Amino acid sequence: MRRHLQLLASYFANYAKARVEYRGDFLIGLATSVVATLFAFGFLLVLFTNISQLRGWSLEQALFLYGFGLIPFGVFNIFSPNIYEFGNNYIIEGKFDRVLLRPVSSLYQVLFEAFRIESLHEVATGILAVWWAARRMGYVWTAPDVALLALYGICGGVIYISFFMMLSCVSFWFEDRIGIHPPVWNLIAFGRYPLSIYSQWIQFVLSWLVPFAFASFYPSAHLLGRRELHDLAPLAPVVAAACLGLLLLAWNRGLRQYSSTGS
Amino acid sequence: MPTQPLILVRDLSKHFRTFKRRPGIWGGIQNLFVRDYKTVQAVDRVTFDVAQGEMVGYIGPNGAGKSTTIKMLTGILVPSSGEVRVGGFVPWRERTNYVRTIGVVFGQRTQLWWDIAVIESFHLLRKMYGVVQRDFDERMALFGEILGLREYLHTPVRKLSLGERMRCDLAAALLHNPPLLFLDEPTIGLDVVARDHIRKFLLAVNERFRTTVLLTTHDLDDIEALCRRIIIIDRGRLLYDGPLELLKQRLLRTKQVKFVMRDAAARARLQALPIDGLQMQTVDELTCRVRFDRTRVDTSDLVRQVLSRVEVRDLVIEDESIEDVVKRIYAGEALREVSLQ
Repeated sequence: MRRHLQLLASYFANYAKARVEYRGDFLIGLATSVVATLFAFGFLLVLFTNISQLRGWSLEQALFLYGFGLIPFGVFNIFSPNIYEFGNNYIIEGKFDRVLLRPVSSLYQVLFEAFRIESLHEVATGILAVWWAARRMGYVWTAPDVALLALYGICGGVIYISFFMMLSCVSFWFEDRIGIHPPVWNLIAFGRYPLSIYSQWIQFVLSWLVPFAFASFYPSAHLLGRRELHDLAPLAPVVAAACLGLLLLAWNRGLRQYSSTGS
Repeated sequence: MPTQPLILVRDLSKHFRTFKRRPGIWGGIQNLFVRDYKTVQAVDRVTFDVAQGEMVGYIGPNGAGKSTTIKMLTGILVPSSGEVRVGGFVPWRERTNYVRTIGVVFGQRTQLWWDIAVIESFHLLRKMYGVVQRDFDERMALFGEILGLREYLHTPVRKLSLGERMRCDLAAALLHNPPLLFLDEPTIGLDVVARDHIRKFLLAVNERFRTTVLLTTHDLDDIEALCRRIIIIDRGRLLYDGPLELLKQRLLRTKQVKFVMRDAAARARLQALPIDGLQMQTVDELTCRVRFDRTRVDTSDLVRQVLSRVEVRDLVIEDESIEDVVKRIYAGEALREVSLQ
């Protein structure tokens, strides 16, 4: 465990160093990323100049939801490059052989060999938005609240990472250059607004099939004390563990497939 | 057998099921639904042992099954049938423990991280393999000296030349001091100096650490410089396993002498020479190549006879190259002459 954490730190430090070396590229990446986040916030503000409430959610509450959702989303984005590139980079180009020749879990290596450092700002912005919205609402933070926020944030990150990495496992069986991530990725955007504004059908999908509501809506509603839907937030760790379990299952089957075909 | 061999391979086979891809868009759509599968026998009942400290050349033409064998020995691929044990491990079953005991270099692609400085890659590997700092420093000093790594330790891998990169890859594969080293085409695409450097390094490592080396190569000079024993495979089957010397003795039977004559008339006279068992080949107007079986025709006798009858300006005596021998073996010829072990 300690060795793995040390390794993660080294991976990150090295990657950051290499990334910052291409300074222009890094700054442009960071700028676009920041602008995209600002636009999303801007849209929320415009929306609330026209309506005062969204299904009973005030602007502050909506900001809280959006801000909280950014935290797991940012965590996911930080580790996302190899999730998207797995098929191309590792399976088709053949880098995966190298991974298998090292005495560390192959999934661990793939996930943590590349980062999207710019996305750290998403986590930071998310925390800032949550803090600001809470302050405007006169929310009093207790230590358990903060711990809960962190726990939910991590669970959400695990849900996103596991779910998308599971989709990447398809590359073990099919040469899939485009990836099936984009349509699923678009579902993340649903989490910016209260789940209660959607039809029951969408609520079901986002809770039980593609459980992204556990990475945004349920935890936020729980922290805000809103109970218009069932309070499923306590299930978030269970859902995260289930996603991770499914990922490990898919990964190990994929490994077996790879080792019998080599491609 | 005094000790257990380090590598033990018994009836090792690997077949792949591939399907024929139809061309064009319509073919692509058809591919989705109907596939004509065929089985390719990449490695076919191969058996051999390698003892600790040996350096063995594993050679064969493209597509012979060399890389597939290496991938099975390194635990990347699971065999279709047969047995592999390396240092007591079944490679694919105990992958993470097993790979600590081996080093692997693929000439075609680097094992290092593309964007970071060489030394950082080494540090990452040090942490992965849990090499203690003192051993690490010691080995770095040694490799730095023999391989001349120092000048580019702080350069990102992507900026290195192929030769430099290969040296770094070699050092990386040996950082954890594995008793066994697999090399797949380690000198491919390198210039003469770089090749020589790498060969010397391998010899030094083998001598100093008694590291066992199994290498595939297309370069027979590599084999001559490094290996006393070679294993030849083709189309997945083992063709020869034995000393390089024996192969040379048994198969290097053809000798050839190239004569450059003073004029065309002299060449005609040469071709009319009354000796049995000569194969004449005209190279150009003045040059002629004579090939013969050296067990039946004595070279000095031949040369003496020619010189006494024909005016020769120059002559060159050549042995058949190992490359040609291997080609003949690949072609299925000459096998009867070599008894397998």
